[in-house]
Amino acid sequence: MTKRYGLVIDQERCIGCDACTVACRIEHKADVGFITVDTTDSDLKDVPSGVFPNLRISWISKLCNHCENPPCLKACPVDAIYKREDGIVIIDDDLCDGCRTCVDACPYGVIYFNEKESLAEKCNLCAHRIDQGLEPFCVICCEGQAIYFGDFNDSNSKVSRIISEKEVFRLKEDLGTNPIIYYVPPMEKREL
Amino acid sequence: MNEKETIKIIRTACPAHCGIDCCGILAHVKDGKVIKLEPAVFPYEKDKRICLRGLSTLDITYHPDRIKYPMKRTGERGEGKFERISWDEAFNLIATKFREIADKYGWRSIGWVLGGPGAGTTKFGAYLRLASLTQSTRVSAWGYGDAGLPCGSRVIFGSHLPYIYLFGKFWQRKWPNLIIVWGTNPGESAPLQSMRKILDAKQEGTKLVVIDPRFTVTASKADEFLPIKPGTDPALALGLLNIIFKNNLHDIDFIKEHTNGSYLVRLDNNKFLRGKDIGERKANAYIIWNEKSNQAKKVRRSNKDAAITGNYDIDGIECKPAFQLLMEEAEKYTPEKTAQLTGLSEDKIITLAKKIGTEKNVNFFTYMGFTRTYHGDISLRGLATVASVTGNVATSFRSGYLPAVLNWDPFLNADPDTPSYHRLGILNLYDAVIKEKPYPIKAVFFAFINFINQCAHSTKIRDEFFPQLEFIVQTELFMTPNAKYADLVLPVCSFLEFSDFLPHPYPYVQLQQKVIEPLYESKSDVDIATGIAQKLGYGEYFKGGEEAFIDLMMDHPSLKDYSRDALKDKAMYLREIPEGGEFPLTFGTPSGKIEIYAEQLVEDGQALPVYLPPIEAPLEPGDHKFPYTFIQGHSRFRTHSSYANVDSLLKIEPEPVVEINPNDAKQLGISSGDMVSVFNDRAKAILKAKVSDAVRPRVINIMEGWWFDQFREGSVNHLTHDIINPVQNKIYEPNMHMNDVAVNIQKLGEGEK
Repeated sequence: MTKRYGLVIDQERCIGCDACTVACRIEHKADVGFITVDTTDSDLKDVPSGVFPNLRISWISKLCNHCENPPCLKACPVDAIYKREDGIVIIDDDLCDGCRTCVDACPYGVIYFNEKESLAEKCNLCAHRIDQGLEPFCVICCEGQAIYFGDFNDSNSKVSRIISEKEVFRLKEDLGTNPIIYYVPPMEKREL
Repeated sequence: MNEKETIKIIRTACPAHCGIDCCGILAHVKDGKVIKLEPAVFPYEKDKRICLRGLSTLDITYHPDRIKYPMKRTGERGEGKFERISWDEAFNLIATKFREIADKYGWRSIGWVLGGPGAGTTKFGAYLRLASLTQSTRVSAWGYGDAGLPCGSRVIFGSHLPYIYLFGKFWQRKWPNLIIVWGTNPGESAPLQSMRKILDAKQEGTKLVVIDPRFTVTASKADEFLPIKPGTDPALALGLLNIIFKNNLHDIDFIKEHTNGSYLVRLDNNKFLRGKDIGERKANAYIIWNEKSNQAKKVRRSNKDAAITGNYDIDGIECKPAFQLLMEEAEKYTPEKTAQLTGLSEDKIITLAKKIGTEKNVNFFTYMGFTRTYHGDISLRGLATVASVTGNVATSFRSGYLPAVLNWDPFLNADPDTPSYHRLGILNLYDAVIKEKPYPIKAVFFAFINFINQCAHSTKIRDEFFPQLEFIVQTELFMTPNAKYADLVLPVCSFLEFSDFLPHPYPYVQLQQKVIEPLYESKSDVDIATGIAQKLGYGEYFKGGEEAFIDLMMDHPSLKDYSRDALKDKAMYLREIPEGGEFPLTFGTPSGKIEIYAEQLVEDGQALPVYLPPIEAPLEPGDHKFPYTFIQGHSRFRTHSSYANVDSLLKIEPEPVVEINPNDAKQLGISSGDMVSVFNDRAKAILKAKVSDAVRPRVINIMEGWWFDQFREGSVNHLTHDIINPVQNKIYEPNMHMNDVAVNIQKLGEGEK
């Protein structure tokens, strides 16, 4: 059976440390991380919402959603973006002409423009590592062990089990892009 | 050859001075250059880890600003002007200067200020060995923030650190029903060894309470967050005890068996009643009131008939069991009063106390943060007293792993026939240098410490401390604020360039293995100590380099199954407690029990974990010249002041900010991004404001570790004080009280921007 690779990111285990971003920059020798950590409900990084002392904060790591129906792929005028059989969406550096159409087309704001090279760049789910049987680098460097990688077509995989057992969500589901990055929301506070 | 064949992978480990998470690391080396680091496996799969700083290590190792060769000062101290010299010149200079100074003032006037070696052992041991051979002074660095916890732990548990008693079982992944993280933020300061386990435990049902003046990363995961006023932790402890006692939720059997709560205290002098007071043959024996025989008796192994409450007349001496006195002290701390003192709600205090009292398995998780106040040692004692009277202190292990014991003797006293080094606490060093008390220190050797940046009262160090010193040496990777004041700066290796033995993280031991040869002319600390030793005539004690010292450090019966060779490719578990075996945890207190009553502190009025207000922090509203309490959190972007100069991390957090509550900010007309001055009588720090509900009103936070030149002016330690708590001085060594500081804050005027 064909694979369908993606991630589940557990916000309960995310401690907002930015290690995924640093790991991504290192793995891809890039100036920016293709995965970034946003503070939810706040414009300022690491600032909680609510009023002292009734506060809450959580973080959400954002990266390419490797959509089933990727708007970037459709938008690219030079067919530099393709989807692998295993679902990973890739920008081909050799074909990209730096027109930035995909940057604007992505509803998630996760395609970055490399001014130096005049290329569009984004997360490739570490396809080069996956092809060697390794997990994406952000996954193994996640401090909170909040990121799970796996094959969603395998019903026994950890990721498949999580999405069937837990409440999960994806970003902008109404757009019909059908992302393969799932999120588990933080746990509710419990009574002592 | 393809790329794979030319890449060599070496297992090493990061020794950083974080929470000693001590991550195993695989270094990929190509053509003598490290091209990538990744987390290495541990025997337990889930322990594989790395943090964002560890990942960024290559930005340290290959940083363009590395100090590349030994340098001698040419300009004024602090000016940063140096000239290159050879290692031979450098070693000669040290030997000559040390001898000159020793001739004038004695060898003890030379101080080795060894800061945070992290998990490293031989790099620390090498300098100690040299200090012991020369009978010079070892300056203990516990006091730059980390002595308060040991002071408290020594008093109540008779042990330097309290961790094994309070949460050793948690580190063995035996989850409690409730974990109370008190005065520490493992979410940023110990994410891998501790926070991960907290998240694991929580997912398996453990409830989490966080007590902290800041809404930290750890607090964000809490089921209940108690935003306490800094320095009022002993009041909270007494308030919790008040409710626990009132509801009879204390563990009487545990108190009798494991604490000195039943020991009778004389009300005339507050000391323990002793055998000699009642005509017992054992003159020094502690005395209890036996409720069965209604008699005063000396303490025996089984104490089950001892009274822990009441008032007794023993041969005309009025006495009460220590526990009774604790109850009476706690009685004063009603929920109402505790709420008023701590800034917490009565409801939350009562709920927590009842939960602690009724829940069977509670872990109290803490580190140094809340002990960095003037009475921080009592904060720890308060916490530990709550844990003790509810039976939540471990007294033995029946499974798990035994801590490593290292062969420290040859380092602490290299020549057993002669005395070893003198010892001073780092906060005592100020007086030794400035006032020559208790004796003069005239030369200082700094290793792995950014002293003026990280120690209290920087302006005093600059204006009064450094001018008194005749000779200053610094081993460093970078021209740090402190290195600029050195007369001689020696380039030291990053951790990828030398080997060391790391008996961490629990329950493992690891090898920090040299991955590449030292860059430029840098040397390891062991090699630097060796170079100095040779010039001073102690070369025979320094043969064989790091490897020989690692072998020596591991030469202990408890480590006989381990070797450098065995550790080359893996971390190894510590020795396991055999099935059916039991490893008792002893208490090294005078009584051998958990001392909820400390006789040694009677004269100080601190025999009980009393609440004494902070020394500077202005907790109550009033007419204060400096109305804000200034505290220093620890940031995930730095390990203290290490990594503050790493561009890849500065991209995420570019500069220091002062966090201020929106209520205060509004009154002061401060918005996020405004330049503000934080000041007191000592100095000011100028930096950007960040308005955030993550800090209590009337408390401001600046993350520690930023270097001087990253502020527009001043720094965190320009604002801190070097006041010595004499009780801590007596127990162990005095701590710096970084979280007990009063300041004011104002927006910079138009002209000042």
